[in-house]
Amino acid sequence: MTTTGTGITGTGITGTGIGIRVAAVGDIEDGEALRVPPETSGHGDAIAVFHDGGAYYALDDICSHGQASLSEGWIEDGEVECPLHSARFCLKSGEPQCMPATLAVRTHRVEVRDDAIWLHPGRTAAEAAE
Amino acid sequence: MSSPPSSPRRIAVVGAGLAAVSTCDALRAQGYDGELVLYSAERGLPYDRPPLSKDVLLGKSRRADIMLRPEQWYADQRVQLRAGARVAAIRPHSGGLELADGTVAAADRVVLATGGTPRPLPVPGGDDPAVHLLRTWEDAERLRERLLPGARVIVVGAGLIGAETAAVAVALGCRVTLVDPVPVPLAAAVGGDIAGALHRRHTAEGIEVVTAGVGSVERHPGGLLVRLAGHGDPLAADTLVAGIGIRPATETAETAGLRVGNGVVVHPGQRTSHPNVFAVGDVARPDGHRVRHEHWEAAQRDGEAAALGILGRPVPAAGAPWFWSDRHGSRLEAVGTMADADRTVLRGDPATGAFTAFGLRGDHLIAAATIDRARDIKAARRIIDRGVPLSPTDLTDEHTDLRTLLNR
Repeated sequence: MTTTGTGITGTGITGTGIGIRVAAVGDIEDGEALRVPPETSGHGDAIAVFHDGGAYYALDDICSHGQASLSEGWIEDGEVECPLHSARFCLKSGEPQCMPATLAVRTHRVEVRDDAIWLHPGRTAAEAAE
Repeated sequence: MSSPPSSPRRIAVVGAGLAAVSTCDALRAQGYDGELVLYSAERGLPYDRPPLSKDVLLGKSRRADIMLRPEQWYADQRVQLRAGARVAAIRPHSGGLELADGTVAAADRVVLATGGTPRPLPVPGGDDPAVHLLRTWEDAERLRERLLPGARVIVVGAGLIGAETAAVAVALGCRVTLVDPVPVPLAAAVGGDIAGALHRRHTAEGIEVVTAGVGSVERHPGGLLVRLAGHGDPLAADTLVAGIGIRPATETAETAGLRVGNGVVVHPGQRTSHPNVFAVGDVARPDGHRVRHEHWEAAQRDGEAAALGILGRPVPAAGAPWFWSDRHGSRLEAVGTMADADRTVLRGDPATGAFTAFGLRGDHLIAAATIDRARDIKAARRIIDRGVPLSPTDLTDEHTDLRTLLNR
C-alpha cells in the first residue's frame, strides 16, 4: 500500500505541528502498514505507518540492517518483523529486538485526529504535541 | 567430572561466527557481567556469512558491510575479541584453554562455536588450487577474482551455497555449469514442487545443469578438465567451486573427550557432555536429532539458548527452524521439516514463479516453503509454532488471509 500524496508537501508543514494526513482511520487495516514515500513525507526517506491493535506508529521504512521495506513486514504485539531477515523492531521506540539488526530505526510522531491519521515526519514519537 | 562453580566468572567463546557473537550478546543481555573472551581464528571483526555467496561475490558488499557488530560494540559490551587467536585445545577439567601459540588462558565455562569446514571434493584432483570452497571471507575474495565475464565455471553441488554461487556467477557473465548427482536437489528440504521450480530456474537463467557426480579433476594447459561419473565427454573449466556441505569442526571437542557424533551432541541450553562446556551453531547437533541445523537463525537461537544454559536459567522451546536462500533475484524461504509432512498443498500459481508449498501432518501445518511469497512463511511459522488446527483449503484459498487463521 503506497500513498499517492495528499496535495500538501511535507516540507514547511512539519514545523507547524499540523503534520501530514496520510490516511483515513480504517484505511490501514490492523496488522498492516502504509509506506509514505519521501515525495509525500518531505523527509528524505520513506516512512512506514503501522497499525497494531488500534494504535498507530511510524518508523523509517528501510530496515537498519538490510535494504528491506518494514512496511512489508509482519506486525504483531508492538513489533514489526523485517520481511528480509526477520529482525524485529519495537514499534514504539524503533529499537531492534533481535539480530541481525543492531541499530534502531528512527521513530516519527503519529496522531489520530478528525478520523484521520496524521504523520509528523522528523519529530520523534516521544515528542509531545505542540 | 568436576561440578560447575555456582556462577560463571570467566567465559571463553571459541569461534567468531553468528552463534559466537549471539552467545556474547545474549549473555550480556541476561545480565552476565563477568569476563567474556571471544577467540577468533580469523583476522578482523567477526562477520556475517550469508552475504559471502551473494553480495560479496557480486562485489556489492565489502568486509565492512557485513560486520556482525561494529567495533565499538565489543568495547561497550566488554567482549574481549582475540582476533587471529586459534584455540588448540580446551581443558574443561582444569578450567582453561590453550592457544595455538602456546598461551594458556583460564575459563570456567567454554562455548564451542567452531562451526564447520567445507567438505573437499572427494575425487582425484579435488585438491587442485583451481577448486574453490566457500566458507570464509578469504574464500569469497579468492573466488570473486575468478568470476570474470566469459570464465568457464563449474559449480558442484546444487544445494544452497552451490545454487547461490552459480546464480552469482551467471549474473557476472560467467559460463556456468551446475553439477549435482541428484535430479532435483533440495527436494527433501523444501518439497518437490518448490525444489523443481528452483532447479528449472537455473536453466532458464542460462546455466547448464548436469545431473551427474564428479569423477575426477585434472589440470591441463587450458585450465581444468572435469570428468563426470558415467557421463560422456569431460568438461573444460577455468574454475570449479564445490558446495557439497560442511563437516562440523569437532576436533577440539573430541580431544577434550566430549560426546561427539556428526557434531558436538548438545542438550537443552546447548549443554554438552561436560557441565562446563557448551556448543552452538553449525558444530552442534541436538541430541535426538539426526541432522545439525546449519542455518543462520539456528545459530542465533543457539547463542541465546547457550546464554540461558550457562546461567542456569530455563530455556524456552525453539520454534520451527527457518532458513532462506537468494538466487536469480528470487528468494527461497522455508520453515519446519518438510520431510515429515504426509501431504503437501500449494498456494499461488506455480506458473507465475511465486508460490508456496505447505506441508501438513493430519490437520496441522508442520512445514512450508516459498519462492517470493515471504509473508506466507511469516504466517506459516506462527501457525506451526502455535499448533493451529486447519484444513488444506484454509491454506490454498487465496481469499483466506493466513493471518486470520492465527485468531482461531
